[in-house]
Amino acid sequence: MKKYTLPLLAGLLVLGGSAVCRAADTIKVGILHSLSGTMAISETSLRDVLLFAFDEINQAGGVKIGDKSYTIEPVIVDGASNWPLFAEKAKQLLEEDKVSVVFGCWTSVSRKSVLPVFEKDNGLLFYPVQYEGEELSKNIFYTAEAVGQQATPAVDYLLAQGKKKFYLIGTDYVYPQTTNLILYKYLLLHGIALGDIGGGLRKDDSGKVISAGKYTPFGHTDYQQIVAEIKQFAAGGDACVINTINGDSNVPFFKEVAAAGLTPADCPVVSFSLAEDELRALPTKDLVGELGCWTYFMSLPTPENKKFLQRWDAWLKTESYPGVVKEKRAMDSPMVLSYDGVYLWKAAVEKAGTADVDKVRDTLESGNISFDGPGGKITMNKNHHATKNVYIGDTRANGQFKILKSYDQIFGEPFLLKGLDEKVAAMGK
Amino acid sequence: MVLKDLAFILCVSIGILRSSPLNAADGSDVARHKLSRAIVSEGQEQQDLLKDLGESGSKMVGEVLNAWIRDSVFIYDSPDGTKVPLLLEDAQDAKGKSRAIRIDDGLSLKDAQGAELRFVATDLTSADTDMRLRASIQQTLDALSLSDPEPSVRRSVVLKMGISQKQKSIGILEARLKKETDASVRKAVSEAVALLHLANPDPQIQIAAIEQLARLKSLGSLDNLRAVVARTNCPPEVAHAGRKAVKTIEEHLWLVNFFGTLFHGLSLGSILLVVALGLAITFGLMGIINMAHGEMIAVGAYACYVVQNLYGSGFGFSITIPVGFGGKVFSFGLHLPGLNATGWFYESYFLVALPLSFITAALVGILIERAVIRFLYRRPLESLLATWGISLVMQQCFRMVFGANNVQVNSPSWLLGHFSINDVSFGYNRVFVVGFAVVIVVATWLLLTKTPLGLLIRAVMQNRSMASCLGVRTNRINMLTFAFGCGLAGLAGAFLSQIGNVGPSLGQTYIVDSFMTVVLGGVGSIVGTVYSAFGIGTVDQVLQQTTGSPVTGKIIVLIAIIAFLQWKPGGLFSTRGRSLD
Repeated sequence: MKKYTLPLLAGLLVLGGSAVCRAADTIKVGILHSLSGTMAISETSLRDVLLFAFDEINQAGGVKIGDKSYTIEPVIVDGASNWPLFAEKAKQLLEEDKVSVVFGCWTSVSRKSVLPVFEKDNGLLFYPVQYEGEELSKNIFYTAEAVGQQATPAVDYLLAQGKKKFYLIGTDYVYPQTTNLILYKYLLLHGIALGDIGGGLRKDDSGKVISAGKYTPFGHTDYQQIVAEIKQFAAGGDACVINTINGDSNVPFFKEVAAAGLTPADCPVVSFSLAEDELRALPTKDLVGELGCWTYFMSLPTPENKKFLQRWDAWLKTESYPGVVKEKRAMDSPMVLSYDGVYLWKAAVEKAGTADVDKVRDTLESGNISFDGPGGKITMNKNHHATKNVYIGDTRANGQFKILKSYDQIFGEPFLLKGLDEKVAAMGK
Repeated sequence: MVLKDLAFILCVSIGILRSSPLNAADGSDVARHKLSRAIVSEGQEQQDLLKDLGESGSKMVGEVLNAWIRDSVFIYDSPDGTKVPLLLEDAQDAKGKSRAIRIDDGLSLKDAQGAELRFVATDLTSADTDMRLRASIQQTLDALSLSDPEPSVRRSVVLKMGISQKQKSIGILEARLKKETDASVRKAVSEAVALLHLANPDPQIQIAAIEQLARLKSLGSLDNLRAVVARTNCPPEVAHAGRKAVKTIEEHLWLVNFFGTLFHGLSLGSILLVVALGLAITFGLMGIINMAHGEMIAVGAYACYVVQNLYGSGFGFSITIPVGFGGKVFSFGLHLPGLNATGWFYESYFLVALPLSFITAALVGILIERAVIRFLYRRPLESLLATWGISLVMQQCFRMVFGANNVQVNSPSWLLGHFSINDVSFGYNRVFVVGFAVVIVVATWLLLTKTPLGLLIRAVMQNRSMASCLGVRTNRINMLTFAFGCGLAGLAGAFLSQIGNVGPSLGQTYIVDSFMTVVLGGVGSIVGTVYSAFGIGTVDQVLQQTTGSPVTGKIIVLIAIIAFLQWKPGGLFSTRGRSLD
């Protein structure tokens, strides 16, 4: 019998979906992630954790608006790693399905392409993945780590460890470029000499630095030259590498690092795009001792996190959604921030007494909406970014992080560049 | 310092004197106890114990400390509440459990009844380390390595001591210099001593140190020398010597980069060659626009993964495909038990994987040739569409069997690491690929020119109808040639698994490079492929080095290739073959 339920369920969802859902007392919520294409590996995990959060809320009685309870009904669409398609799907969710809120997007480029749609239709989007900042839309709430909640705490930690030389390397697109530019200015402010920031600088005609660090395209495989350069850079000691390489290029990069004999004891690499979910597909033996910085680690020893992971495991065993992988699952920061986003939205809706976008936004902007998530307390601020804990850990052979340092309740500030520019200019005088 | 060192030597010699067979355990027993205490203790006590251990001179201590850093020392909470640090033996029993060796006495861990306890590594908690502790462990290891019998170990630790700029190391290093016999270590020691003298307030000592560093062409000291020159209160004669030294070392650095880049070009060229050689046969000789070439590479890489798992804990998969609307399910599964090999036997898996990946890819090639391609020899454009379709089907098969995520292929330890000649470092895997490329090119050349089969292949490729008239079984030759080309692609895949990702889209990453290499070399010419692979590799690396950006380098290479093909559409070595008729 079990064999038949899966396809049957899938069929029901496709064919009879709309008939069932129009029933009373449900509230429609959109999931907008890539379930196929390059980004599917990362984004399907977010769909899974969102479904988990919805089931959890529905079992506990649903969303309570006034004295009525509403069951959350997910509408799942596939962005297919295709950025224009993301915008079309967002339009479909907002105009046809008329969802109250959308949880979605991973890459910055997908977020940038749905942004105008959300602003035009006055929708509501929760965005969960670490990003470069320098953006604030009235229709988007960013549970994601801003640069000040990941990159700068990591650099603070390395500075405290006595590191004096920083090599910046990343994949060539908006997130690494912006992050490294911010870090370059941040390092200058903290007394690191220009020559001790490795990877190279690019300036525009007026002499203003527009890009710092070394960049490789998506899917790059040949890191011999770059690692040789890092090795010479690190020959004088006290050096470290800030890695914003995204995706599977990390494998050839770290294999080359290991082959060149650069050990974490001499020259640690701190990576901003490698969380537990990504580590499952990496040779973790070569990575032991390399650093990571996130607002959640699966290895957090708090009772809340342990209970959360137990609930997640139990859900994975019993759920019957099509396409959810059940074995060897990991939990990581983007997943937890997706989960937190659902609860923040629920709290705001319940407080506002309506799912109306303008009212929910006002409530979230009040700064009184917070949630005790698996990674600690998270509070939404007026600037649409969240205050939360930040952790630094080093990679273990089992693909987990061991927490080395935690920073409590860091405020999420999206606009760092301008402030840094002013400070650097002041320092120049 | 010298006194302390003497005391240390004395201690060691006493240790040697006392370690007669009767009480062999004596000297190392003390070390073992200290070590086990160090693992379970914390804070200052731990630091002190680690410092002591650095003077134990025991190989065992080094092994345990290395295991500790790599999370392979485990803590067993014994029933009486004490924490027992232990190591797990490599050998595993049927349940995957291994014997636990207590660190404090080197014997196996037993329970109250005296029965041996066995564990799986994942069930135990490993001994904690953090960045600071690992640094201390590393220091202890450094101290141990200074008396290591292996010169390369001594050399690297000496360099580290010099860079650390801790003045107290001078005494230890100078003492070492007197004892040291190995030339390269002597060089490293004098470099480290000179680096340390650089911080001496006396200008004469500073100048001597600077000159010494310049003589040694020490790359590691470049930062320090620049700092000395840039110092505002630097005496002019020191600054002068410093500038001269910086110039000498920078010239040396240029040479190092020059030869390094040449080697990188050679290794990138070899990778391109290994990847493209199979295509040079299926596309170049046979004229099939083989879009599934990349997937053949992936077949080889996955074969390597399967062999690795068979040497380890076994390999299994299961596929469930819903069929039609009735909800019927087609299930298929396979599980192969593993050998659970360890040590050198496990490390040798790659040598078995190489021929197996060739055979697997060749068999898949035969299948495809028989099923599809043999109908399309006279229709090259349709072969493009058909092979592209095959490549999509194969990618989906990889996803079903191995999952959409990348799989991990571990490099055998003899392919990890590197050696240096005059500061130019050569990674073992890179040296291996260069040798590997030479071997398969020579083998291909021998096969095509010196064997009867090669003669038949060349005849059929030049003119199938004529060869057929003369009694050659062209069908069979076509099949074998295609299989050979695919097998070469499989070999490439096995090697690529050592330097990059193994995943369903592995083939897509290399298909463009492969076609580029073959087309530039001249379709139909194996020699052309060799030249074009090394040419592209070297030019790419040189441009990467000079422009400082991998993207710019690649763009320039592509533009240059397009321009070249405008000028010589046949490529470097254009030949007249069946495909061009």
